[in-house]
Amino acid sequence: MYSMTATPANLTPEHDCFVLEGTIDAQSEPFFRELPKKVRHPQVRFDFTRAGRINSMGIALLLRCFKEIRQARETEILLEGLSPTNSMLFKMTGVFLLAKPAPAGANGREGAK
Amino acid sequence: MHQPKVAVLYRDAKDRELWEETLKGVPGLVPITVELDFTASLERLRHFGGSLRLVILSARLYPERYPELAAQVRAVCPGSELLLVSSSEEPPPALTPLLADQVRHLAFNPPHEARRDGEYFPEIVSRLIDRRPWEICSCLREGTTLHSFGLRSSEEKEALIGALEAVLAGEGDEFEMLRQKGALLADELLENALYDAPRAPDGSRLFRKGEKRVMLPQESIVFSFGFDGETLALELRDSWGSLEPEVVLEHLARNQEGDPIAGDAGGRGLFIIWRFLDHFHMNVQPGLETAVGGHLQLSSGHHPEVPRGFHITEIDKEMQTCTA
Repeated sequence: MYSMTATPANLTPEHDCFVLEGTIDAQSEPFFRELPKKVRHPQVRFDFTRAGRINSMGIALLLRCFKEIRQARETEILLEGLSPTNSMLFKMTGVFLLAKPAPAGANGREGAK
Repeated sequence: MHQPKVAVLYRDAKDRELWEETLKGVPGLVPITVELDFTASLERLRHFGGSLRLVILSARLYPERYPELAAQVRAVCPGSELLLVSSSEEPPPALTPLLADQVRHLAFNPPHEARRDGEYFPEIVSRLIDRRPWEICSCLREGTTLHSFGLRSSEEKEALIGALEAVLAGEGDEFEMLRQKGALLADELLENALYDAPRAPDGSRLFRKGEKRVMLPQESIVFSFGFDGETLALELRDSWGSLEPEVVLEHLARNQEGDPIAGDAGGRGLFIIWRFLDHFHMNVQPGLETAVGGHLQLSSGHHPEVPRGFHITEIDKEMQTCTA
């Protein structure tokens, strides 16, 4: 299960925000295929606070999606609400080469919990 | 006279000192310090070559300092298995040379805070000498309940992961981390058995990742796990026996050393399994069975970024070299 929402509190003219929810795996493919087309701003934030397990297929989809977003324009991708396990996973699979953990911001959230 | 079955090649006295404590439980170990006299070291190995079942190589010698060492050892001890040992406090060895030399066993000296894990060495050495593959119960306390489930369809995957998480009930960050790691490992093991293992005679995949499927007649996928309060052990057995040891090593090497964003490396699931377990084991009986598993500890002293050991065995070839 997954869903995408733009969170009003985080939305500024400069960035898009996508909230990911549930397991990210092979079933998430249609969602991540369409996602890059929805990016409008030079900064994109992905909120993983409500995301669950991310398996190897989910990692492949995230890498492909982030790569496409960055290729289309010079977009900065920031990740927030990561669990320690997902942080570890992102580090070892190269996700952090395309996107970086968001610094603790006004909303109090850090990239890696 | 008792013939030694295990030799260990150290680089120098400091290297020997590093490993002595860890390997002291290994009976009849022949220690050889290579840099005193390299040629004499190989001659000494040749002298024992007929009886040696296992030669342990320090990562301070191979693959970087003496890249030809594995081949040279194989030439003088043709019946022995090679185990590379590396300190978890030093940079891990590159995997590509291991792939080329078919070195399928790698172990790391545990950090000081993971003392219990140190018991692992004599156990793994004994198994390599006897050519006995890893068993899920071998790392769990006696009397630990083993949970085993035969899969009937892909729809059961989430229920099995839920059953594993229920066994890991406990409060605190360590338990939460173990539950998350256990769930991810179960997911990868099951996905691997459901979608990567089933192959047509030409090697092509029979099923697409994520599609709903039921088990084929004669197909068996059994997921087992146990938790003794400190160690979680998991194992997945499928009846395909389609994973080749060289391919597995290649996947691990490519995912560790390649550019992850250049393209889809393949074998990422196996890479994740390897890196999330404290010790990774795989045993293949070609065309008959693949068993993939290992264990991890609640209070793992292994740094998350440090690669883990692995043991990849193939029953047919092992049986051919078995002289015991």
